[in-house]
Formats: sequence, C-alpha cells, structure tokens
Amino acid sequence: MSYIEVKDLTFSYNEKTNVLEAVNINIEKGEWIAVLGHNGSGKSTLAKTLVGLLEPKEGEIFIDGQILSEESAYEIRKKIGIVFQNPDNQFVGVTVRDDIAFGMENLCIPREEMLSKIDFYAKKVNMLDFLDKEPANLSGGQKQRVAIAGILAMQSDIIIFDEATSMLDPFSREELIKYIKTLHKDGLTIIMITHDINEALLADKILVMNKGKVYAFEETETIMKKKEIFTDSHLELPVSLDIANSLELSDKHKEIREKLWEYALIK
Amino acid sequence: MKSIIIGQYIPGKGMFYKLDPRTKIVAVLFIMISVFLLQTIFQLLIALSVAIILLLIGRISLLKVLKGLKPIMILLIFTFIFQIILNREGTPLISHPMYFTIFTLIFLILAFIIWRVLAKLLRFRFTLFFLFAGSVYVILRFVDFGDALIEPFNFAIYQSGLEMSIFVVIRLLIIITLSTVLTLTTKPTDLTQGIEKLLHPLKRIGFDSESFALIISISLRYIPTIFDEANKIMLAQASRGADFSEGKLKDKLKQVISLLVPMFIIAFMRSEELANAMESRNFVPGEKRTRINELNFNYKDVLATVFSILVLAGSIVLRVI
Ligand SMILES: Nc1ncnc2c1ncn2[C@@H]1O[C@H](COP(=O)(O)OP(=O)(O)O)[C@@H](O)[C@H]1O
Ligand SMILES: [Mg+2]
Repeated sequence: MSYIEVKDLTFSYNEKTNVLEAVNINIEKGEWIAVLGHNGSGKSTLAKTLVGLLEPKEGEIFIDGQILSEESAYEIRKKIGIVFQNPDNQFVGVTVRDDIAFGMENLCIPREEMLSKIDFYAKKVNMLDFLDKEPANLSGGQKQRVAIAGILAMQSDIIIFDEATSMLDPFSREELIKYIKTLHKDGLTIIMITHDINEALLADKILVMNKGKVYAFEETETIMKKKEIFTDSHLELPVSLDIANSLELSDKHKEIREKLWEYALIK
Repeated sequence: MKSIIIGQYIPGKGMFYKLDPRTKIVAVLFIMISVFLLQTIFQLLIALSVAIILLLIGRISLLKVLKGLKPIMILLIFTFIFQIILNREGTPLISHPMYFTIFTLIFLILAFIIWRVLAKLLRFRFTLFFLFAGSVYVILRFVDFGDALIEPFNFAIYQSGLEMSIFVVIRLLIIITLSTVLTLTTKPTDLTQGIEKLLHPLKRIGFDSESFALIISISLRYIPTIFDEANKIMLAQASRGADFSEGKLKDKLKQVISLLVPMFIIAFMRSEELANAMESRNFVPGEKRTRINELNFNYKDVLATVFSILVLAGSIVLRVI
C-alpha cells in the first residue's frame, strides 16, 4: 500500500457540479509531487480533502494505511500539514513562538517539550532569532517558514504547499524553495501545488489537474516530453524545454538536450 | 504603519512586571472599588500619594504614565469645568460680574488669533490652551469699558462645586493611573490569559473562557494586519483619484464605503482561511489544550493580593464609620 492513496475521490461544493471527479492517486513515502493545473481545476480542493477539511462525496483517502474519516481526522492531521497561499491568514499566534506552539498546544504536548521543540524547529527554518517577534514585523517568506516549523513540530512527515510561494517576492520564493529541498532530503513527503512550471521541475513526479480530473501523473522527465499534456491543460512549458522537445531524438542532439534541461532546472 | 503598538505594553523590569497577570487584574479591580468608596478629598489625596509611591517603588517612570493620561486630558478638563458650573450649592468662593462689550469682543478675537498662531509655532499645546482659557477669563472680568453688547452677568464658583470637581478629577486620575500601570506592565497575551483563568469558573454556567481568550488574542494579532490593509486600500483608491481628507459629507460617505466594502470582503475570506489553518493544525473549539505561556503565582502575588484586600477593607471601614 502506498503512503498516500486516493481512491475514486469525488467532491462537490453544491451537489450539482463535481469539482473533483474520480481522482486516483498513489504517493510513496518521501516523494516530492508537484501539482499543476490552471485556476479552478480543483488543486486546492484536493489539498483540503487530503487533510480532512472537506469531506469527499464519494471515494476514500488512506494516509499511512489509515482511512480518513471524521473520527480519524485528528490522528491523520498529526501526519499531514498544509501551508496555505496567504502567509497572513494562517499565522494564529501573537508571536512566532506562540504560532509554532499552536498545533502542539492542540495536541496537549507538555510545556517543557514544546519549548525544546520550538527551539529545534525554529532553528531548522532559521527563525530562532525571531521567536519573540510579532507577525507584523515579519516578511511573507518568514511567516511561511514559521508555518513550516509549526507543522514539523507536530511531527508531521507530509507537507502540502498550496501555492505557498505565490505571494512572495522572487528572493523569498527562492529561499522557501531551498527549505523545501531540505525537507525533501530529510525524507518528508511533499505535495507542492504551484502554477510555476520551473518550480514543478524540481519534483520527482508531476500531477496535472484539469477540470477536477487527474489529467496526467508521471515522472517529471517523462511528462515534460509530452507537450500535448501542457497545451491541453493551458499550461506553458519553459522555452528551453520546448526547444529540447522539438529536437530530433538522435544522439546528435543529446548533449544539447541535456544542457537545455539543466538550464530549465536552474531557472 | 508597521509599528502600531498593541495596548501600551512597554518591556521592562521592576516588581509589577514580575506579578502574575491575575494578581494584577484582581488587585487593580479591588483598589478601583476602594477608590470609589472614599468620600473626602483628603482620603483621595492619601490614595494618590500611595499610588505614586507604588509607581516609584515599581520603577515605572511617571512620565510614561502621564503620557498615557494625555488622550483623556480633555475628558478630565471637561469633567472639571462641568462640575464647577453645574454645582451651585454652599457659599460662593468667588462671585463677581462679568462684562461683554465691543472691546471684550475685540480682545477675545485678538487672544484667539495669538493662541492659534502660537499653537502652530510652539509645542506647548496644553500650556497654551490654559493660558488662552485664563486670558478669556481676565478679559471677561476686567474689560468693562465700551458699549455693552449684552448685559453684565454674574460669575460664581461655589465651594462645594470646586471641592466636588477636584474630588472627581483626582478619582479619575487614580483610576486611569491604575489601569495604565496594568496595561503598561502586562503583555496583551498575558492579560488575555489572566482574564481567561479568572473567568474559568464560569464554565459551570456554560461560558467557554478559553475560546473567549483565544478570540481576543486573535483579534489583537490581526489589528496591525487590518490597519495595514486599510492603508493599502486607501492608497489604491487614492491612486484612482479618491480623496479621503476633503469633500462634502456625501463624498466622504462614498469614500468610506469604498473602503469598508473591500475590507469586509477580505475579512470574510480571511476568517475562512484562518479557520481552515486552525483546523488543519488540529484545533477543536472547547477541547482541552496545553499552553506555551505559563502563569505562575508565587509569594509576591500573595503579598500583592493581601495588600489590595487590606486597601479594600480599609476603605470599607472608612465608609462605614
Ligand atoms: N468554498 C467554495 N464554495 C463553492 N465553490 C468553491 C469553493 N472553493 C472553490 N470552489 C470552486 O471549486 C472549483 C475548484 O476550485 P479550487 O480547488 O480552489 O481550484 P484551484 O486551487 O485549482 O484554483 C472552482 O470552480 C471554484 O470556483
Ligand atoms: Mg488554489
């Protein structure tokens, strides 16, 4: 059984149109998945059903072998956390320390243990010097890092990023990506919803959503060679990959193709 | 806009900082009640000097407390004047005619212009205001030459009126000083947690003090964010030609609505996202949770509580005998 299994998941906000339809996904432990899809394709809805914020109309979700239901949601949320788009609307605490503590407080973790975990995870996201700062004095990127620390402190090993970089300036965005890379190295399972294809290239696999359905779910290198998947879903490939794909598949161009891939990954 | 101070908390040391917020809330409440029980100016003056001594012991700068008083200075002045004017019992302390002639008018206008010009140039606003008020009195009192515009009228200050107004002002002063000390030395988070713990017994009648405190602390946390947002929207509207400072009442109303509508929509979305973020981190309203901020009640708190109880008892005794 995979670490995360979504089986025939269907969801609807209003009983009429299905926002998610017969979604089937298997994600292994430690994988980094990027989710692409144009606005309204159901990416955020999928993320919310995975953490039990929305209840499926049909289908089942298994996390680490445990089925997600109203009763098990509390247990499952210890394993899976989510960082949302707007850094301001998820900062609950009055200070950084309070915010990292929030999830642990809900889990009734003793104070002493909380204090040491806060130090440990604040250090991990490089926010140790800001523990007493209020959110008004933090940048968007710093707030997102605090959100990560809060999730790590709950001992979750799956993190969903729902366009978590989209409201950040280019520098903070790059920095946050760097932290996500470290999390991946540490063995966490990462589901990164994004509309930035260059970001998606960093993932092991890419999931393309289209009108509530899984349009494609394949290894990054394989999927990037299938131009039609992207044009069908109104997504644009980076120019360098476009060129790489248009080159003949002969050995003559192999080196150039590899260079173009490298270029896309760096960018 | 980034540095809006929430409450008036100023970090520092000294005995008031070391007390448990619950102690401070209860003590301030007790002492406030005591102050309302006192009946003579003399008793109040003693209370005031005790308060000042406590401030000095607690190493709180009087200057900061006075700054805290500034916004309600106007309230104090009006209370004082109303008490004097409205209370007309007992023997008059001063009683003399006042005049209003053509020259009075000219002098008044002159005084007004001088006051406004100086107020623009100098920084001593309050002093200037008092000087102006004083000169109005002197003009009305002594400029009796020239054609009278209205009949001379009598001006009187009665002893009980003066006493009453001094009494009320000192009482207000003490109460405001007390609450300033509380907010000056207690972090907003500690204050809400203190209130939460004090209201905890109300759980029996169905009052969820923990959720109540959480709501307050989240509100505190979002005040600067919302200010920031209002600022951004105002700038955005201004860049489209809106002017928040001038215009007729109708135009102003339009501007305010153009500010309020987006703010409410944003607040609505914000609350939904915040609720999602809290739920995804396993928050369940009304469930038991541990707390990162810990309150500890020690011997200092016992002393402070005993002190405030003694003050309360003392003032009850004074009231009864
Ligand atoms: N709270 C909601 N109530 C009703 N419809 C919603 C709600 N949230 C999203 N939708 C609708 O569901 C669809 C998918 O939205 P969403 O999952 O947010 O897409 P994405 O994140 O891919 O942009 C959209 O058509 C959107 O209008
Ligand atoms: Mg979305």
